Amino acid sequence: MTGRQLIMDFPVTATSHLLADYQARGGYQTLRKVLTTLKPEDVTKEVTAAGVLGHGGAAFPVGRKWAVVKLDDGQPHYLCANADEGEPGTFKDRWILEHAPHLLLESMLMTCYALQVRNCFVYIRGEFDQPYRRLQAAVEEAYAAGYFGENILGTGFACDIVVYRGAGSYVCGEASALITSIEGKKGYPRNRPPRLTVRGLYQRPTVINNVETLSNVAIIMRMGAEEFRKVGKPKSPGTQLVSISGHVNKPGVYEVEYGYPLAKFIYEDCGGVLAGRGLKCIIPGGISTKVMTAKDIEGVTYDHKSMEAAGSQVGSGGMVVIAEGTCMVRLLHVMLRFYHHESCGQCTPCREGMGWMHRIIERIVRGEGQPGDIDALVRISNANDGTTICGMGDAAGYATVGIIAKYRDEFEYYIANKRSKCEGRLEVETAHA
Amino acid sequence: MPDFFINGQPVHAEKGETVMQAALAAGFYIPYFCWHPYLSVAGNCRVCVVEVEGEGGGSSWSDIACNMPVSEGMRVLTDSESVREQRKQTLQFILLNHPVDCGICDKAGECMLQDHHYAYNGEPSISTVPKVKATKYVELSDRIVLDNERCIVCSRCVRFTREISKSHGLAIQNRGDHSLVRASEDGRFNTDPYSDNVVDICPVGALLSRQFLHKARVWYLQATPSVCPGCARGCTVNLWHRKREWKLNALDPRQNTEIARVTPLENPAVNGPWICNKGRDLGQVFGRPRALQPMLKGREVSPDEAAAAARALISESGRPVALVSSWGANEELTAFKQALGDRFTCFVKRDCLPAAGEVVEDELLIRADKNPNTATAQQLFGSAPLTFPDGTDLVLVWGEGFDFTAVPRGARLIVLGSYLAPENGHADVFVPISIQTERAGHYTNFAGVTSHFAPLFAKPRHVVHAEEFFARLTVTAGIA
Repeated sequence: MTGRQLIMDFPVTATSHLLADYQARGGYQTLRKVLTTLKPEDVTKEVTAAGVLGHGGAAFPVGRKWAVVKLDDGQPHYLCANADEGEPGTFKDRWILEHAPHLLLESMLMTCYALQVRNCFVYIRGEFDQPYRRLQAAVEEAYAAGYFGENILGTGFACDIVVYRGAGSYVCGEASALITSIEGKKGYPRNRPPRLTVRGLYQRPTVINNVETLSNVAIIMRMGAEEFRKVGKPKSPGTQLVSISGHVNKPGVYEVEYGYPLAKFIYEDCGGVLAGRGLKCIIPGGISTKVMTAKDIEGVTYDHKSMEAAGSQVGSGGMVVIAEGTCMVRLLHVMLRFYHHESCGQCTPCREGMGWMHRIIERIVRGEGQPGDIDALVRISNANDGTTICGMGDAAGYATVGIIAKYRDEFEYYIANKRSKCEGRLEVETAHA
Repeated sequence: MPDFFINGQPVHAEKGETVMQAALAAGFYIPYFCWHPYLSVAGNCRVCVVEVEGEGGGSSWSDIACNMPVSEGMRVLTDSESVREQRKQTLQFILLNHPVDCGICDKAGECMLQDHHYAYNGEPSISTVPKVKATKYVELSDRIVLDNERCIVCSRCVRFTREISKSHGLAIQNRGDHSLVRASEDGRFNTDPYSDNVVDICPVGALLSRQFLHKARVWYLQATPSVCPGCARGCTVNLWHRKREWKLNALDPRQNTEIARVTPLENPAVNGPWICNKGRDLGQVFGRPRALQPMLKGREVSPDEAAAAARALISESGRPVALVSSWGANEELTAFKQALGDRFTCFVKRDCLPAAGEVVEDELLIRADKNPNTATAQQLFGSAPLTFPDGTDLVLVWGEGFDFTAVPRGARLIVLGSYLAPENGHADVFVPISIQTERAGHYTNFAGVTSHFAPLFAKPRHVVHAEEFFARLTVTAGIA
């Protein structure tokens, strides 16, 4: 096991995602308690005390985000659950949407109560089909059971929810692009200031939290902040759903308690690297986080502080395992192709930079690399760092700089010899493949 | 009390102002492409980056000035080492695939990219591979053409059609570096009466006027401030014409006396920085075939003979009626009032009526009255509708737009006109008068704002200025 389980604490069966099963597990009991015995600010206080961090990638303290919304400002507030899980390698929210949709809904109801939100949204990525159908079915079940709509549980609290399907753009997972998309516009991120918690959806204070982050709210309210803090580490309370993929024997979604040894998780819980190969490196939390070599992960525990000390991040929990012999040049090529394709094209550094970097790496892979190309990639990455409207420009830069910093020799070899220093491929052949 | 500091100097800022606005108002220049004082903040070009020094020894940070609210005591650097470096990098991004075809670009000479490049970058594209090609000629409308290679996707034009002209005629298609400005399929951009403004606000040579395309290098032209006579708004405009020192003697001398293009002259009291498409076509209005010769019943005479004949007709007349032009300048109208106002029964004539298919009136600029100076004319001569009194024996028609069949039987006719018209030869006295581009004057618009126009060209030899001509009629009229 990977530490204590808070979200994945029930066996998945054919009916475990349905309302009846969720209620049998004690679901919506906490909601009744919250609505009948607590004031909205008590919920915020409890969540703040729990110290839960955002699980979408930036690890922003949830309490601090919520605190910006003033309950008595006389204007509508909005809540959006960010289910636009587009970070490559990340598919943890999908598990919640498919198997515990009611946990998300109950949490959202509590959050709506805490922030006095009348209308909330789930922005779900267009490619999610099964998750969408499960979530939509859950919403309908919840409406039928009186958990949404007017006068919820006879308390006078009213809340409506809309599940909004995106069209599959990566950048729409960025909070401001997400709300621009909900507004029916092109999914362009917005400039800050103003922060979205000041002027967000329809120019009103809006809280946008990741699906997993929100799902923690019901758990916190059930356990109490004090109990919740006993799970994980003091600076990183709770657990993280990790979606692990790549050259790994047992890919999938695991719930990892913060502070769990990283190497143990990969080598033991996930069964180690495919085909008995050695571990080359991992991308720990979505491809926008810096790679960690096999040596880097030694002695590292899976929590924010330890991961940052090791030069990377927890990120979105989308872990990619890369086996010995994988060509990092081609890996970067795949990544940059993605960033180029997904750049929204609004601001100059990312619009021009992503295409530029993609064309350079493509040339290198074709065997037409030039000596200055590696420096050019690093320079473009740095020119994107902090100069763009949203974080996507930075993210592509981190990934590139991270890989080049650790595997510069492979790039130099590729340019000089017009072929990969490794086997030159990304796939690992296994016995039953 | 200074609000904040730019480069160490105290600067006052109004409440709610951004660093960009306060800096420009205080005389500091921060370069920009996508920002425009009359449009919303897009913040996408990233050239206006400035550095803010950290407080109390904290580390400094940088962000774009156009979206940075001024906060008390902040210390902004507009030209620090890191700002210069970031600006240079951004310009390198913009120039990466820019074709640098300034030699054939209409915008060259007044291009913000050229200016910023020389000021902040100065190096050629650092890409080592051939530049990415794009479509060079996309017809967005009958009036506007787009060069995608030059476009820097600043979205100024898109915001203009959404926020100012409200036609929503333009949008950005696709994403990433495939982003393209395109007109909506329903042709709304084609019918946008303000579409040509996107040419002015385009910071590079991407959006170009098809009318002006490859017609002239802007450094051979000079702008003369003038007033658009197209409607009662009286937008202030710049009329661009060939500089005297670049006069063409051999190739096509007509170009020396043609209006090459019309651009808005920013004037917050009247038109802001915009004008309508009709105002862009002033060259066609003033370029019509001119009447150049004074005539008596079609017989060519000198201006002096014409004046003498007119004097005689006026002194003989028992009941003269004058139709005063609402295209006359304040000076001309006053001169007429002083010289002949007592002698004639005067009516104000609307020289121009809305043409078929034209936007008659809208909420932005265009007014239903298609004459520039009806306000002053009506103030001097009243607004009574035209009725010829019994016994009218002389009619003086000044300007265009008069139905000559309405002239009472037996009445003599004096016509003052600028353009060739069949009636000119039938008038007892025809006097060719100068047009707006040949004289100075003022118009007062519907809201009472008076604007000045200056002469661009010399008047043809036998053409007279109406103001002087009226003065010459006074003497005799007084004696008679």
